[in-house]
Amino acid sequence: MTRVAVQHFIYSLRPLLLSGLLLALPVHAWAKNVKPDPDGLPPQDVKDLHYGDVLFYFYQDDFFDSITRLLAARELDRLPNTQGEAELLLGGLYLSLGEHVEAGNIFEKLLNTNTSEAVRNKAWFYLGKVWYQRGYLQESERALRQVSDKIQPRISAERYMLLAQLMLREERYDDAIAALNAWHGPPDWTAYAQFNLGVALVRTGRLPQAIAPLDQVGRMDTSSEELLALRDKANLALGFALLQAERAADARPILERVRLDGPYSSKALLGVGWADSALGEFKRALVPWLALRKRNLLDSAVQESYLTVPYAYNRLGASGQAAEFYNSAIDSFDAERQRIDESIEQIRSGTLLDRLLTDDRKDTLTWYWQLKTLPDAPESRYLYQLLASNEFQEGLKNYRELNYMSRNLDNWRESLSAFNDMLDTRQQAYDERVPKTDAVMAATDLDALAKKRVDFESRINEIEKSNEVAALGTPKEQHDWARIKRIDDYLTTHPDDPELADLRERLRLVKGVMYWRMSEGFKARLWNERRSVKELEASLVETQKRAVLVKQARQGMPSNTGAFSVRVTAVNARMDQLQQRLAALSERQNRYLQALAIRQLQAQKQRIEVYQIQARYELAAIYDKAADKATQAKPKAEP
Amino acid sequence: MPDAPAADFKTLDQEVQGMKKDVIDLNKDLFVLQEELLFPANTQVAVYVSMDVGAFFALDSVTVKIDNKEVKNYLYTAREAEALLKGGVQEIYLGNLKVGKHELVAFFTGKGPVERDYKRGATISFDKGVGAKYLELKITDRVPKHQPEFKIKDWD
Repeated sequence: MTRVAVQHFIYSLRPLLLSGLLLALPVHAWAKNVKPDPDGLPPQDVKDLHYGDVLFYFYQDDFFDSITRLLAARELDRLPNTQGEAELLLGGLYLSLGEHVEAGNIFEKLLNTNTSEAVRNKAWFYLGKVWYQRGYLQESERALRQVSDKIQPRISAERYMLLAQLMLREERYDDAIAALNAWHGPPDWTAYAQFNLGVALVRTGRLPQAIAPLDQVGRMDTSSEELLALRDKANLALGFALLQAERAADARPILERVRLDGPYSSKALLGVGWADSALGEFKRALVPWLALRKRNLLDSAVQESYLTVPYAYNRLGASGQAAEFYNSAIDSFDAERQRIDESIEQIRSGTLLDRLLTDDRKDTLTWYWQLKTLPDAPESRYLYQLLASNEFQEGLKNYRELNYMSRNLDNWRESLSAFNDMLDTRQQAYDERVPKTDAVMAATDLDALAKKRVDFESRINEIEKSNEVAALGTPKEQHDWARIKRIDDYLTTHPDDPELADLRERLRLVKGVMYWRMSEGFKARLWNERRSVKELEASLVETQKRAVLVKQARQGMPSNTGAFSVRVTAVNARMDQLQQRLAALSERQNRYLQALAIRQLQAQKQRIEVYQIQARYELAAIYDKAADKATQAKPKAEP
Repeated sequence: MPDAPAADFKTLDQEVQGMKKDVIDLNKDLFVLQEELLFPANTQVAVYVSMDVGAFFALDSVTVKIDNKEVKNYLYTAREAEALLKGGVQEIYLGNLKVGKHELVAFFTGKGPVERDYKRGATISFDKGVGAKYLELKITDRVPKHQPEFKIKDWD
């Protein structure tokens, strides 16, 4: 009954879900200036780069990459300024990936805290919607009831509508009627509310009350294809309810309102025929039924017309034509049963789902994905009804997601193999470099170098203190100074030699000039030496640092590489295990959907078999009657 | 064989949920492992692109040079540019650099004011220390000048 309404909800959910939720969440990595500030104030800064990175993928609907990056950033403590909004976004991402259980857990944890009412309302609302679609009706109701009335009127209306639909699905008709009677919402939603109210009233046997809402929907003026279909459906529901209540005259005009080119026209034609027939107008009933009989035999209304046409002929006394139509029906049903059997065999071969997903875009995962077209295969003609069911669509979505996950793991497996090669190469390079490094380290006595530096500095201090200018002279100066010193020493040992008086005088002059020259450059040379000491010190510190790093790398490298190897091995094992589980679950999901499809086909086959038995029975009755007539008409034999 | 009684939808759905959660968690672990292995923090350098407003500039491409070597030339799709405008931040480059001084030059091309082709550059000299280095290439609109502005922020 509510399939149209359900579909409407699904499509209306599609673009809204996350964008709607996120409008309420402070998801931006920055607080953006929506309008440029006329005073040219600087734009707001990004709060966390990694949160912005998550949003970059999120805004491209790449929810899988987005959630991976978000979880990684959270683990690496890279969201210090966006923790709260990141958690809400995580809930939203889980929801968009169909992970409603996980999303529910996050929301429940977060939304019971100090989240704003607007955020809370929207999160519960969208969670409720997803749960509704997945058939988690109790969870859905619990979530929807958490939403307060302080929410946009449109969302509030949708919320009440969802609650009412949920009650209808649980066959809580009285609750649904009470909810729908109290429902107020935007005009385009009113038609759905009225329709659902009418259906609930019919289901509880309150036809007189149901007439008004269904009639109202059945008369609405609209050009929207979706609402036109709803209008047809309301007329059909009301028409058949009246027929069931033996009010054929009232039912007929209502059934005639259904469009002849709409999806419900076959059922309407059948109903119009039944109304005529109930009024004893069998000739008139033949008009819609014969029109219906020309349609595709897949439609259950068309199948029924294969029986109603001969039934009408029979009632009109045209038993010959009736027999002809029954015979033709038996043959057609036979052929159809055969086709269904063949299709069941095709489905049993196990390739149905893969064929269904052949044209599917494989690189995205979205909550609102739906299969819209069927492959050109014999069994497809039977599956359109199945495609309209949530159970099949959601199951198919799960199967598709399992395939996506499996491909994702396959891609990682290639990377992991590269990681292993890389670690091997690193280990090899390490093994090659270690002996050379060890040799260099062994040849370098850093302590001795440090001591030398200290000695050097002490010597400079001494030179400065004793004003030993020659110590900082150039090598030539030092050489000359040494010669002077030697001559001076000689002269000192011969103080009274008059022949040396001239030499003594010349030496005094040379020594004075030399000393003056060296004194002149002494300060600059001393400064240069001090600078050299500082540079030496810096180089020594750097060398010591590097030596520590080399030592650490030398010790750390094997354990570092080893730790990575352990991690790679561990994730490889997890991957193997997950791949096995994925394959098994995928197979079960496949079997489940296959069983759904086969169940659907078998139900069609059983219906056809029932019709066929009925046709045979009616045909036999016609023949019996004809035989009786012939017997009665035959003149009695002379005794 | 196949039309043996199938598991009920909810049981299977819950198993699929659990399975997906496990795969998502493994993906996160693999992502972290990959980054730590290929781009360890002591050498890691990550360059990001962000955009604010975008009234005066429609981004086409960004080229990143580090120490005079081109490390990235990225052409944006409309979808990516839109994601940036909505507040997404793109990690345009993730690589390794030695500790010490480096220079990054970025060139931005696109459509500037009045639909004119627009190319601008921005430069930053930075010190790579022992921790990961994050640099943000910021594209913002300067309203008083009616011009876009390109800056590089060192996240230290």
